Amino acid sequence: MTRTSNINRRSVLKGSAVTLGALAAPAIIPRAVLAQAGQLNFTGWAGYPRLAAEVFPAFTAATGIAVNFTELPDQDAMFAAAKVAVEAGGIDVIEPTIDRWGGWNSNGLLQAWDPTKLALDNYLPGLADGSAGERSRDASGALFYVPSNWGTEALVVATETATISEPGSLGDLFNPANQAVLRPHSTLAAMGRWLDAQGKLPRPWIDGYSDMAAMTELWDIALAEAIAAKGNVVQWWSGENEANAGFTANGATIGLCWDSTGFNLRNDGFRYIAPAEGAFAWHQGFVLMKNAVNTAEAHEFAKYVSTPEGAAGWAAAFSSNPVGKGAGDLLDPEVSAYYAATFDDAALAKLWWWPEQSAEFIAKRGEYADKYKAA
Amino acid sequence: MSELLRRYGPGLTLIFVLLTAFWLLMLVILPNITLFEASFRPYLPVTEIGGPRDVYSLNNYAKFLNNAVPASYFGIDVQIPVHLKTFLATVTYSGVVTIVCFLLSYPLAYYLAKVVNPKSLPTLILLLSIPLWVSEALRAFAWYIILTFNGPLNAVLVGLGVLEAPVRWQNGVMTPYDGIMIGLTYTYVLFMLFPIYGAIQSLDRNQIEAAEDLGARWWQIHWRVVLPHSRPGIASGCVMVFMLSAGSLLVPTVLPSTSSNWFTETIRQWMLESQDWNTGAAYSFLYILLCSVVVMVVMWLFRVKLNEIAK
Repeated sequence: MTRTSNINRRSVLKGSAVTLGALAAPAIIPRAVLAQAGQLNFTGWAGYPRLAAEVFPAFTAATGIAVNFTELPDQDAMFAAAKVAVEAGGIDVIEPTIDRWGGWNSNGLLQAWDPTKLALDNYLPGLADGSAGERSRDASGALFYVPSNWGTEALVVATETATISEPGSLGDLFNPANQAVLRPHSTLAAMGRWLDAQGKLPRPWIDGYSDMAAMTELWDIALAEAIAAKGNVVQWWSGENEANAGFTANGATIGLCWDSTGFNLRNDGFRYIAPAEGAFAWHQGFVLMKNAVNTAEAHEFAKYVSTPEGAAGWAAAFSSNPVGKGAGDLLDPEVSAYYAATFDDAALAKLWWWPEQSAEFIAKRGEYADKYKAA
Repeated sequence: MSELLRRYGPGLTLIFVLLTAFWLLMLVILPNITLFEASFRPYLPVTEIGGPRDVYSLNNYAKFLNNAVPASYFGIDVQIPVHLKTFLATVTYSGVVTIVCFLLSYPLAYYLAKVVNPKSLPTLILLLSIPLWVSEALRAFAWYIILTFNGPLNAVLVGLGVLEAPVRWQNGVMTPYDGIMIGLTYTYVLFMLFPIYGAIQSLDRNQIEAAEDLGARWWQIHWRVVLPHSRPGIASGCVMVFMLSAGSLLVPTVLPSTSSNWFTETIRQWMLESQDWNTGAAYSFLYILLCSVVVMVVMWLFRVKLNEIAK
């Protein structure tokens, strides 16, 4: 039999094997190679494409450091990835929220930042100093956390169709006239804070975050009330895309959602309003992995995000608020206007920062969320 | 083994054996043993691991029986643990998915194996497997879009005047698990079809003709001849669809209602949200055990033996 072509089954198989081997090579090459200068392995939030499109290129242009960005959908996935990476390597910097890094540190995942390699004066007042500054340090005063941006979780409401009290309240979430998109554990906290504001709780809601006996006492009450009001929930959300679909695809008229959800829906007839009880607020930032190999680059990176350009870029990517002085002037005027419309000085003063939640608290919180979902 | 040696010589044979051993040991057996061991230990901060509180116990497994919630079965109101309730719902609705898949697959499998012109068989099988070319995630999201309140299904039905007002399909018309069951049936129905098709195909046509000649009605032919012959195929299809459904995480997360909870989501919550891998591992092993018991009991009820399925 004569060959009519150079391409036959065997040559294709051989060729594929060689190609596959070449493709797999990066996975086989030792990690040490990844520690070469000018690289940073950063694990952060998925769903914010402007980070990779605008902020990282600007950072690379300013410092010559390339960012290897791994996107994860939520902090739970980040914690799981960090637990693996502390054994296997591959992550230098991760971006959790301020209430969670304590749990990470007690699990031995982190090392402290070197403040001399950062520029702590760059940060806006109240974000890296004061009570937030204390919460960024461990008992010995070592700095484990530097902020990247901050934001809020408040009411996203359909301007035309939602029934909102005057002023807006967390209680509007439980009004049967509204169709709500919620996430279970935040909703139980919202119910608790609403009951607390009306004086219907035997002790302050905040007690539950430091005392587990108080937690079960208070959360039992909030759970019972939330179950009684559950009829108006049309969908749960756990991430940005689900929350958005809850409004657009499933027709919810109110939700307790992140500010970015409200911002993305601002032109679709939705408003973002701070409830009278005060909006939930979160504070997000960078931690340094215990086994980070690119520590110099990591410090450069954290420092860059405190500069006006870096802080503004980060805030714009998350549709949230910047941490650096002078960043406000660089922000998209639309984003600035959006925040100003929701938060006047009184609303800012009432912000309710998520308290630290211990591992035991989070496990218990999950059980309450399960009971709420199952009802 | 001697055949392997004869064909490839000692060098290659050693590589084959070592690679297989590595795969099984390092990637399957060791991770499972690690999780199994972890499931008996408490979740502790890294600094306390190996300390005085790090002792073996069944506490993680016992959590399955905590947290009683009200439930209603056959009109009787009872208090049962919330995770037991989740488990019962998961097993029940996985069972419903299995039955629906069987009802859809059996006539089609019979048609493909005995009725259709063999020439058009490859085309038909190709058409059936086209949905498998699309990723499972995309298929689940497609159903999410179809079933949403502002989605195409409501638009068509309201537009045609079949419905007066849109329906929240995803929150369930019959049960809170409607969306999940639709998604699972669509995803796993072919795992039922192909084993049954294989079993019916091996049935000699003469047996069907003989039954016809002896005056059996069509349903008698199926009940007395085709069904008994295809029992191994049905059994392996049922086991596959049931276990895949009960183990699915993607479909129940994409197509949930506001009161559905799949047991895999509970395990994920322990593993990720609560960060308690020990209890997560305990729940995983408990789940495998309980699901296996369910499968064994059903197989015993239908007098199917394991080696029949393996055929």
